[in-house]
Amino acid sequence: MEKLNNLYIEIKPILHTYVFELKKNSKKFIIFSIITGLIGFLIGFLGFALIPEDSLSSSQGAYFQDGLGIMSLILIFGVCFFFGGIICSEFSTKSGYIVFPKINKYKLIIGKYLGNITLLIGVIAIYYFILVLLGIFFYGLPLNIRIFHSFAITILYILAVSSFVTLFSSFMKSVNMTIIATILILLIVFSLVDQIVVLSNPDFEPIYSLDFMSRLITSILETDFPATTAERYIDMEMQGFIFRIWITPTIQMGITVMLLYTIICLGLASIIFSRKQL
Amino acid sequence: MMSETVIRLDNISKKFGDLLAVNDVSLEVNKGETIGLVGPNGAGKTTIIKMIAKLLRPTSGRIFIKNSSGELQDLNQNARNLIKTGFLIDIPSFYDMTAYQLLRYFANLQNYPKSQINKRIDELLDLFKLSEWKHKKVKTFSKGMTQKLGIIQALIHDPEIIILDEPQTGLDPKARIEIRKYIRHLQNLGKTIFIASHMLYEISEICDKIALINHGSFVAYDTLENLEGLLKAKEIKCQILKPIAPENLGPIIKKLSEKLDPYLDKDLDPKISKVPIKYNPHKHGFRIFYKGDDETMSNILKVLVKEFEVDFTVHSFTQPKTSQLERIYSQMITDDGEQFNLKKRRGKR
Repeated sequence: MEKLNNLYIEIKPILHTYVFELKKNSKKFIIFSIITGLIGFLIGFLGFALIPEDSLSSSQGAYFQDGLGIMSLILIFGVCFFFGGIICSEFSTKSGYIVFPKINKYKLIIGKYLGNITLLIGVIAIYYFILVLLGIFFYGLPLNIRIFHSFAITILYILAVSSFVTLFSSFMKSVNMTIIATILILLIVFSLVDQIVVLSNPDFEPIYSLDFMSRLITSILETDFPATTAERYIDMEMQGFIFRIWITPTIQMGITVMLLYTIICLGLASIIFSRKQL
Repeated sequence: MMSETVIRLDNISKKFGDLLAVNDVSLEVNKGETIGLVGPNGAGKTTIIKMIAKLLRPTSGRIFIKNSSGELQDLNQNARNLIKTGFLIDIPSFYDMTAYQLLRYFANLQNYPKSQINKRIDELLDLFKLSEWKHKKVKTFSKGMTQKLGIIQALIHDPEIIILDEPQTGLDPKARIEIRKYIRHLQNLGKTIFIASHMLYEISEICDKIALINHGSFVAYDTLENLEGLLKAKEIKCQILKPIAPENLGPIIKKLSEKLDPYLDKDLDPKISKVPIKYNPHKHGFRIFYKGDDETMSNILKVLVKEFEVDFTVHSFTQPKTSQLERIYSQMITDDGEQFNLKKRRGKR
């Protein structure tokens, strides 16, 4: 009983920070939810309703795939929006002077991280919810159960990307710099490096790349998920050159890499944060 | 009664690259004492406070704080056991929330009893005249209001030790008086208070002991009275009932110089004053710089009353605390890093 009580006392600051973070970022959540909801509605409904030539996908799964095509982009912006200032803002705005003497830094980062993760998952859940409703509207029931698998992968992807951004936030000096740097890396640098690596060694699968991992969000909706390595890439010939495009990682690989990203980046961020002096 | 140490700094130093910000500082603060930390910008005041708040790690040395068992405990050991400490460091910067939400969060973080949080928030907001702003976002607050909220957050969990870095910054005179009053109230409650400030008047009014710091080292640490004893010259403010007519001023000053000659400080530091007797026509008073002790002071008073009965009537006769501290400060703290050698001076006494 005493052990439980001690554990509760240890966890309490995390819980308070978690709740506080939810309140603090509630406006961000509302704004982002509205934007994401509108995008979901635009992609999932308005396109088909307003442009008669824009025909519906052949199946509910394919419809979800089309709708989730933009997911990684929304997530990158969302993660940078929510996590860009998670650590560096305490230093740049000097709010750390008030908070750090009151709470252990590890507990502070855990509380803040969980709070922002919850909000971002909430935003994404709204997008999925709209897509599911429209999927039922257009294709009727039963619902393609793989949409839940995709949602689970999206959560893992959020964890990986948010940890990556949190790591940057731990050593960058300003919130804006963190947001710009991480958006550039996640949107441009990863895909550029992927292309260079594939060009220099087509057999090398870009398992280090978060951009590559994000493809699992849509590919998991495939009725026949690629069973062999050869099915997971396409070779394209262009002017005598053969370019290899890796379509998706395996599910196990995707989950493992994203979890590794989460653990390593969060661990490093915590170490840097705890050692950083104000 | 034995004094009980609640904070002890043991030879702490802090280096930033090649810069030695704090150099081998040792200090003991007893329960219920109010300590003023005074020094110029960059002297190391905030660095010392930040090390006590664990925002910075000392390069060497250790910091001890009293724990719940009444023993001094290393700051880096289990923080849960340490007695409650409240901090206000630098100009406070808050998250963009309402005052209530922020204070509730801070009280929760510091394990203040849940059932009493609202009462405590209302009490403090009322005391600092911020009740109407309870549910307003902090970004709409003025600088002074933000500073008040900074002080409130340091006190929200009713700490035993209160550490305030420049608490008067951004406050108007009325608010400064209110805060001084509240600090006195905290003193009466037996709280230990540690204040870093540039405002010598505030420090001299409320602190039991003063630590003078320059270039990262303590130049002196004692009560104001004991520090005054180290001064080469002391000052008396003598106010008279009616102003002296300009044509009489010269002869009166001459007579004063003659009659008070044995007591006057003739080697006065020109930074303090060029002459040992100064008349201020606006305040109808003299500033007299003398050398000596309390007996000298009473002798001066006797001379002024007896010998100058026809020239003026002494209305008040005081030793201004602030001015003394200013002079201690200017005597002990120099720009070039040459510091007043306290031990040497004490040896001479």
